[in-house]
Amino acid sequence: MPHAPAPAISRRDFLSTGAKLGTALLAAPYLMRAASAGGGSDSLNVALIGCGEQGRVLLNACLKIPNIRFRAVCDIWPYNRRYGERLLKKFGHDPVPYEDYRELLASTPDLDAVLIATPDFMHSEHTVAALRAGKHVYCEKLMSNTVSGARAMVAASRETGKLLQIGHQRRSNPRYLYARDRIVNGDRLLGRVTNSTAQWNRAVTEDLGFPANQGLSEAVLHKYGYGDMHEFRNWRWFKKYAGGVISDLGAHQIDIFNFMLGTYPTSVIAAGGRDYYTTHEWYDNVFAIYEFPTPSGLVRTQYQVLTTTSAGGGYHEYFMGDQGALKMSENPKYTKLYREARAPDWDAYVSQGLILRPGSGEGAPPPVKPWEKPHARLAGLSHASGAVDVRESAELSAWDMPVTLDKAIHQPHLENFFDSIRGKDTLHSPGEVAFATAVTVLKVNEAVAARKMLAFAPDDFKA
Amino acid sequence: MSRLAFRHEAMATYFEIELEGADPAYGRAAAAAAFRELDRLEGELSRYVESSDISRANRLAAGASTVIGDDAMECLLVAAGVAASTGRAFDPAYASGPGESGAPAFALDPAAHVLTARSSPLRLDLGAVGKGFALDRLAGVLREWGVGSALLNSGGSTALALGSRGAEGGWAVAMGEAPHRRQLRLRGTALSGSGVAVKGAHVVDPRSGRAATRAERAWAHAPNAALADALSTAFFVMSDAEVAAFCAEHEGVGAALARPDGSLALHGTLAAGPYE
Repeated sequence: MPHAPAPAISRRDFLSTGAKLGTALLAAPYLMRAASAGGGSDSLNVALIGCGEQGRVLLNACLKIPNIRFRAVCDIWPYNRRYGERLLKKFGHDPVPYEDYRELLASTPDLDAVLIATPDFMHSEHTVAALRAGKHVYCEKLMSNTVSGARAMVAASRETGKLLQIGHQRRSNPRYLYARDRIVNGDRLLGRVTNSTAQWNRAVTEDLGFPANQGLSEAVLHKYGYGDMHEFRNWRWFKKYAGGVISDLGAHQIDIFNFMLGTYPTSVIAAGGRDYYTTHEWYDNVFAIYEFPTPSGLVRTQYQVLTTTSAGGGYHEYFMGDQGALKMSENPKYTKLYREARAPDWDAYVSQGLILRPGSGEGAPPPVKPWEKPHARLAGLSHASGAVDVRESAELSAWDMPVTLDKAIHQPHLENFFDSIRGKDTLHSPGEVAFATAVTVLKVNEAVAARKMLAFAPDDFKA
Repeated sequence: MSRLAFRHEAMATYFEIELEGADPAYGRAAAAAAFRELDRLEGELSRYVESSDISRANRLAAGASTVIGDDAMECLLVAAGVAASTGRAFDPAYASGPGESGAPAFALDPAAHVLTARSSPLRLDLGAVGKGFALDRLAGVLREWGVGSALLNSGGSTALALGSRGAEGGWAVAMGEAPHRRQLRLRGTALSGSGVAVKGAHVVDPRSGRAATRAERAWAHAPNAALADALSTAFFVMSDAEVAAFCAEHEGVGAALARPDGSLALHGTLAAGPYE
């Protein structure tokens, strides 16, 4: 990381939230110059196109990765662009701000890579231009809101020989990799996987607004393809800018069907609609059922995305087999392994260190909200009291995997991208693989509109 | 003038924003933007989120370092400032294991955004400063939206006033119980209360490791909510004389300490009133 001169212990450091305090509260005993970690020869110059909500997530993750130097930021909205600039300057970067990505690409010749976090309908244009300018590209998912847009991105990557990573970050999450390689494959703790369900249920959200003095002019909005500020801020709701909720939320998890099952589906049937929101064009709830032909047999999977309720346990992907089941989520508290009673004993796996006993994993405590203090427990109700709990049938015990993701959620995927540029790794979500996911996802919208089961041909997944 | 109120759950409590004089649709959008920032901050600062900076810091061995985000760094700097200036009456790392004798449990390099553990295990907990820190950030979002007058609070225990509420000269907040209840007007400052009445005996005196002996509530008044939040916890475990001395030494800070009879001992900026 870049290192500025030794920090002065200024009042600003402690009162940066705004107001003045007459006498500074000096934290001197807590301040210490850290040993320099950066400055290596494998430093990479990068730029960010799109400094909105997702761009900020990528920025915050990148700032924790050594030897990444931001040279430029780009956003058509000054309000977002300034946020990116300000944050980077606090970390000692000096990015040049741009409104137009073409100018950025033309004026920053020594860039190694471009990160793209713009609305989906611009992904293809931004990615193809950056690849043709000789930059490696990390582009947010869904790689495009159209199959043809996604295909053009893969073609540009092949033509230029530059890397294209798509932001399906679960593919670099150590817990997901462990689950696929060690649990589902490897020792096959689930036995034969027969079914899978996945969901993302999200509470009602309001349309996004904008500070009254920060609106873009009609001329600027039209220049960049937006109808008005409302559409610019709420692009996900509109068919010309986005792929709908199945793309916004579903893409991550449908990608995990492909990732975990190691193949692509042969069919999809789906239903959905815009039944709640009056300001959306896209469906606000969608259900889809896929059929995956795996070497062990057919796996039928069901996906649901709801945007009017958080009920039903948040977001997860659940893989079910005849000997066990695996519930996966980016949230470790929703990640669990369950053993079927007919499965061989799992104690050997515990002694091998493959899995952890129920209640002993890092993700083991039930979901507790941050800063919640533990409540006093009533005496005599301890499970250790020896009293037998009488109920209809025993619940399956919840086992854990000994894997922790102690980084920002997107950090391993960005590290995989940067290390692949350096020749030290290979991409976890290259354009070709993400193309297949885009095809898998976007077909759902077709099936909803057609109101019938649609078939995939194997060639559909080839870019 | 119209008053609008919005509420959101985060950080194991509720946050409220009361706006004055804003168009209802615009006010709702501004509050929603502030609450999105709150949810983002929760992911950065919570020790219960596996991938947060604080969780990662708590896994460091003594002597090891990690790069942390700007939110965690700023919040920790406020916490460290209060810890140092109160002689650890407030300490965000009070539950940490042994480290170098006399040294704090962690060290910060603000320019490099690096945190170094100096104790093992490090047990950072921003529970007594994070909510106030979040309030300051929410006020920042509202200011960006051009909201000039608002009262924000977290869980009813820390209140931050943005602006002066027009002709009324401030946002009314009250401390204590009748007949000793005191109401004052906040203008651009924050007031935070700490006590055992709502959540049970949970305040540990980091200096002794034992539960604080104070039985009545303590309030801190400060230029921002992060300081008010942390100082109210510090004041709760400090003696009356220590609180009085702290307020005398630090401009912009006030304290109210409830006596057993319910009356309030007032110090610093809270000594003069005016009260209503």
